[in-house]
Amino acid sequence: MDISSLLLAVICLLGIGIYAVLVARNLIKVIVGLQVLVKGAMLALIAAGQIAGQPEVGESLALTVIVADTIVAVVGLALAVQVRRRFGTLDIKALSTLRR
Amino acid sequence: MLPILVMLVIGLPWLGALLVWWAGDQRSRQQHALAVGFSVVTALAALALIPFSQTVQTIVIPSSGVSGNGYGTFTFSPDGLGIFLAVVATVIGSLAVIFSVDYMKGEAQLGRYYSMVLFFIGAMAGLVLTSNLLLIFVFWEITALCSYALISFYNDDPKAVAGGMKALIMTQLGGVGLLLGAALSYGYLHTVDLNEFLAHADQLPADVLSVMAFGFLIAAAAKSAQFPFQTWLPDAMEAPTPVSALIHAATMVNAGVYLLARFFPAFADVPYWRDAVMLVGMLSALLSAIMALVATDLKRVLAYSTVSQLGYMVYAVGAGGVFASQFHLLSHAVFKALLFLSAGAIIHSVGTRDMRGMGGLGKEMPAVRVVFLIGAAALAGLPILNGFWSKELVLEAGLEGGPLWMWVVMLIGAGLTALYTMRCVWMVFYAPPANPLRHIHDAGPAMRSALFPLAIGTLTTWLLAGPFSEFLKGIGVEEETTLEIVMIVLREPATWLAVGVVILGLLAWWQRKYLQILTEPMQDLGVMAERSFGFEAINRTIVQTIQGWAEDLRGLQTGLLSWNVLAIIVSLVMALLIVALGAV
Repeated sequence: MDISSLLLAVICLLGIGIYAVLVARNLIKVIVGLQVLVKGAMLALIAAGQIAGQPEVGESLALTVIVADTIVAVVGLALAVQVRRRFGTLDIKALSTLRR
Repeated sequence: MLPILVMLVIGLPWLGALLVWWAGDQRSRQQHALAVGFSVVTALAALALIPFSQTVQTIVIPSSGVSGNGYGTFTFSPDGLGIFLAVVATVIGSLAVIFSVDYMKGEAQLGRYYSMVLFFIGAMAGLVLTSNLLLIFVFWEITALCSYALISFYNDDPKAVAGGMKALIMTQLGGVGLLLGAALSYGYLHTVDLNEFLAHADQLPADVLSVMAFGFLIAAAAKSAQFPFQTWLPDAMEAPTPVSALIHAATMVNAGVYLLARFFPAFADVPYWRDAVMLVGMLSALLSAIMALVATDLKRVLAYSTVSQLGYMVYAVGAGGVFASQFHLLSHAVFKALLFLSAGAIIHSVGTRDMRGMGGLGKEMPAVRVVFLIGAAALAGLPILNGFWSKELVLEAGLEGGPLWMWVVMLIGAGLTALYTMRCVWMVFYAPPANPLRHIHDAGPAMRSALFPLAIGTLTTWLLAGPFSEFLKGIGVEEETTLEIVMIVLREPATWLAVGVVILGLLAWWQRKYLQILTEPMQDLGVMAERSFGFEAINRTIVQTIQGWAEDLRGLQTGLLSWNVLAIIVSLVMALLIVALGAV
């Protein structure tokens, strides 16, 4: 696979992820969107490694991202469970208590 | 050894702050013990720095991710001036913490109190030990934040909250001047290191240097509560009294004077800068001395006198007397901490801060009376106490380096200082008791163990004048022995003129009945002084404007996740665009 199609995939994943985070009202969907977003970033790291001629650096950074990303998913889902228990809903609009 | 000590002086109180907070408010005994332990060990570590004052050595903290770009490296270069102020901050800090064991006994939220005090001590030590302009700015703001949190410690009292907010906004305003200075230094000299800046300051264009000089003057005036920002300090007196003693008398408010003294070599030749500095100091000293004459709140009197004495230090820097200003800073830190802490013992016992509700406390609180009188005599500038020597040195520096009329005004200020000190002592200890049925208890053991070292210090720190001048050799102070300094002061005829004025001020209070003809036309002046000569209005406008902006910006905080994410993405795109444009 050549680099340009890889970059196209990166842009698609980032776009889908941002769209999901922006639009979704269900907390689970937001977390899924975040995952898609981070996967795009991970692919971008690998692509950057290829372009710079140091694929091993890009790949090891991608591995780091996988670990961090998993933790984000776990904590996010745990929070979602707590939100559901406390508020009785997963709608993120119900969580905005900072408003006047 | 040196790097470890520096890290201990900054890190230990911060570690203590975390531990005290972690111990929890249910275990108040542990909290007291932890706070006292950490602050005392910090003070010992700071004292251990003293032998290193002559070996100027720069400590670089490796910050691989950050170094090499605009932030510079995290450098600390403890020299005489920095070590001296770190010692003042940690030693008086530990005494204030010891005092708090009695003063804050039974408070519900000790964790918040001690954490903030310890956090402050560490930040203050960092502020004076670092040589990175941006780090100075960061520590500067941390001290402002702690000051805010501690002024508003009794957060169910609207006056305390308003006072804290005012102090925060006014001192942040000054912080902007400091940040501007750091940015200009980086922009023109490509360094944010203080020593490099001082070495190459003459390479700056003259107008840029004067912008920096006046920016730093505004920063210093706001931090040290100097004219025209002097009104936040009296309002800050809502804080618990040990905090007033530590932050608003002995340490944080000195940061402005420190800044001026530190940058004096670079800015001394900027046209009109020295005159502006002297003018700011003179106006603060005179106006707040008059305000102290009419205030009835014990702590406010002390706050006004702090502004006034800081005015003397600023005036001395402007006149070129860096040694005099720093020596007065040392004396003032010791005797004003003593005065504030004994005022704290009085307030704790009587239950009011209004001096009209005190009177006749001399018999019931003999120990406090003795130490308060020592502090008051030093404040008034009576011979052989530390305040006398340092104030005479300040006046002498002013006579040498400044115009005569300013010196005369400062002399009048010294007389007023004696007058209001006398009035304060009389109202608290000797006036007829306001309420004979009250129950008074003398200071507790922890209070005494903080008061007595300070009283001894007030009597003796002037003996350190010689070693102190050697200590400050690094910033261009002429090295002299104590005897030489004493002889210089005693031989100067101006000294005896000043002593005469001080005694005149004291006598004026004794003979106040006969001076009534003189004081009656001054009534209007008194009313004006109570209103801070209209400068309160300026300060209030600044605070209200900034709070208005904050209210307007509240609309941006929708609380909706999607909008926040959109804002993050839009600003990211904008930042990338700016970087891309810059790269072309």
